[in-house]
Amino acid sequence: MSTSRSKSIAKKLTRMNMVVCVVALLLACTGFVTYDFSSFRQVIVRNLSIQAQVAGSNSVSALTFDDPSAAERTLSSFRLAPSIVSACIYTADGKPFAIYRRDGNAPIPTEPRTLAGREETYWYEHGNVLLLHTIVFEGKRAGFVFIESDLRAMTARVKSYIAIAVGVLAFSLVVALLLSHFVRRSIAEPVIRLAEVSRQVSREKNFSLRAAPGKEEGELATLVETFNEMLGRIEERDRDLQSARDNLEKRVNERTAELAAANKELESFSYSVSHDLRAPLRSIDGFSLALAEDYADKLDESANNYLQRIRAATQRMGVLIDDLLNLSRVTRSEMQRQRVDLSGMARTVASELVKNDGKRQVEWVIQEGVEGFGDARLLRIVMDNLLGNAWKYTSKHPAARIEFGYERSNGNSFYFVRDDGAGFDPAYSERLFGAFQRLHGMTDFPGTGVGLATVQRIIHRHGGRVWAKAAVEKGATLFFTL
Amino acid sequence: MKQDCLSSTARSATTVRLLCVFLICLCFPAATLYAQDSRPGEYQVKAAYLYNFIRFVEWPAAPAAVKNGPFAICVLGKDPFGPVLDSILSGEAIGGSSLVAKRISKPEDALACRVVFVDASEESHLKDILTVLDKASVLTVSDIPKFSERGGMIEFVFDGDKVRFEVNVSNAVDAGLTVSSDLLKVAVAVKRNSQPGA
Ligand SMILES: Nc1ncnc2c1ncn2[C@@H]1O[C@H](COP(=O)(O)OP(=O)(O)O)[C@@H](O)[C@H]1O
Ligand SMILES: [Mg+2]
Repeated sequence: MSTSRSKSIAKKLTRMNMVVCVVALLLACTGFVTYDFSSFRQVIVRNLSIQAQVAGSNSVSALTFDDPSAAERTLSSFRLAPSIVSACIYTADGKPFAIYRRDGNAPIPTEPRTLAGREETYWYEHGNVLLLHTIVFEGKRAGFVFIESDLRAMTARVKSYIAIAVGVLAFSLVVALLLSHFVRRSIAEPVIRLAEVSRQVSREKNFSLRAAPGKEEGELATLVETFNEMLGRIEERDRDLQSARDNLEKRVNERTAELAAANKELESFSYSVSHDLRAPLRSIDGFSLALAEDYADKLDESANNYLQRIRAATQRMGVLIDDLLNLSRVTRSEMQRQRVDLSGMARTVASELVKNDGKRQVEWVIQEGVEGFGDARLLRIVMDNLLGNAWKYTSKHPAARIEFGYERSNGNSFYFVRDDGAGFDPAYSERLFGAFQRLHGMTDFPGTGVGLATVQRIIHRHGGRVWAKAAVEKGATLFFTL
Repeated sequence: MKQDCLSSTARSATTVRLLCVFLICLCFPAATLYAQDSRPGEYQVKAAYLYNFIRFVEWPAAPAAVKNGPFAICVLGKDPFGPVLDSILSGEAIGGSSLVAKRISKPEDALACRVVFVDASEESHLKDILTVLDKASVLTVSDIPKFSERGGMIEFVFDGDKVRFEVNVSNAVDAGLTVSSDLLKVAVAVKRNSQPGA
């Protein structure tokens, strides 16, 4: 389609040339023919007048000596002038004297008109020209000659003009065609070339292409130049953009690598620290146990009390170290995503919790058929923590209700774990996801403050979100998406 | 052949055409020759022809005596024309000299004339008359039979009931006269003397 568009400019130029040529020629022909016909009519009349004069002077003696046959002989010479339809010689008193008719039964010449004092007059009738001439002999009117001539000379001339005009027109069109070839070379071709290049540029998105500068001058040269300049600018900008992008990518990669390295270092550090802390802790635990068992009777009551405190703190530290190791493991372990039956998982966790402390009055409401797509081991850690918290923070109430389910509202969908326990001040709902952040006292609700931090890490690794809603003594709800 | 061009053009507006004809007729009152009488008499026509001949014939420069006088058209012998000839010639002139008709009886009188019409009554003296006029620049016209063959120049003949004429060019040339080819064109016969002195 675009090829035909670019071809069309050449076609248009050619057509324009042709139209200009034809119009100019037609105007010229019209003017010329109009002029020629008006002058040719006069020529016809003049010729007719001469013929009338000749016929008249040749008929003088015939008129004088009343010899119509001699006059008819004279008139019969009009046979050589085929355009003369009829001729008539009248006597001085207007009586027909001799008649000539080209076609035997052609209409007979009209009567002479009044000459209004003139020696000769002519007029047009039925497309013919008619002429009346007075024969003067020795200063006296001897008679009249009347001639009627058709305009076949004119028709012949028109025909020949048309033939010539057609010939000239054809020739001129050929010349115009040749000329338009040159015009095309100098105007259309640069434009076509430009169009070709621009098409190629837009098709291949290759801005390094350039229109070849031709021999042309003026606006066309400027057009080609500016076009090339524009391409140059675009190419330059493209290059800048590309290099900026490359740079950015490189920088991001570098930073990511740096960050990953730092993260890994930190993690392996915290892991090894937690791990290495276990050995001394184990010996503190072992020796404090030995002390409590073997020397309980030798120590007084307050010494025994101190020993018990040491033992409790040691145990707590063990739990802390375990939690820390878990947290770092969560980020280090490989993910294997799959369909996970969250409802089933919730039931398992609930039954384990109930088994450890069967005396509590807790109503479990677990929605059926809730599924998630993620790593089963990690999601188990999430459920352990969220349901564990709910269990823990309802422990002060004589009867409790713990819910798990999946909910949709306002186009969002999320999982939730709801309880009607201690709750917390919603002003701090962001803080509880930080490691070691706790909102409750150790004596009321023991814990390390690592659980929700672990949950958040796991949810983030799944590309999801976790948040909490709560009020003091009115329970808490934890939401998450995957 | 003398078909009426005017009445047969029955194309349209015949009255207008007739009016035109009428106007033309009004324009030319001089055309009385044919108009007066639809069938003019024989000598009326011949008189008109006599007058018309002089316009188609050239005379050499005439001697002073002849030149200064009137241009005389003479009738030799009995006058067949009567007043017709006079009325035709009256008021007419050629080359500054007025035309007059003369009646003569002697051939010698004809020497002072430019045109002489020899009446048939003179047929018996024809040879003498022509001898007298030999080489004189006088146009001889007659209706004597064989006039043109017997040394005359123009001889009236009849073509049916129409008056026509024959011309003997040799006799005119011998007399120093030039006869226009236009006249010869309408002559019934143009003759030349093949044998010298015949
Ligand atoms: N279901 C809940 N009801 C009330 N408070 C909660 C609940 N879950 C978590 N919290 C608050 O968030 C804090 C952090 O929780 P977590 O990280 O699990 O630590 P902990 O070891 O104390 O359970 C808790 O100390 C508690 O104050
Ligand atoms: Mg917890």
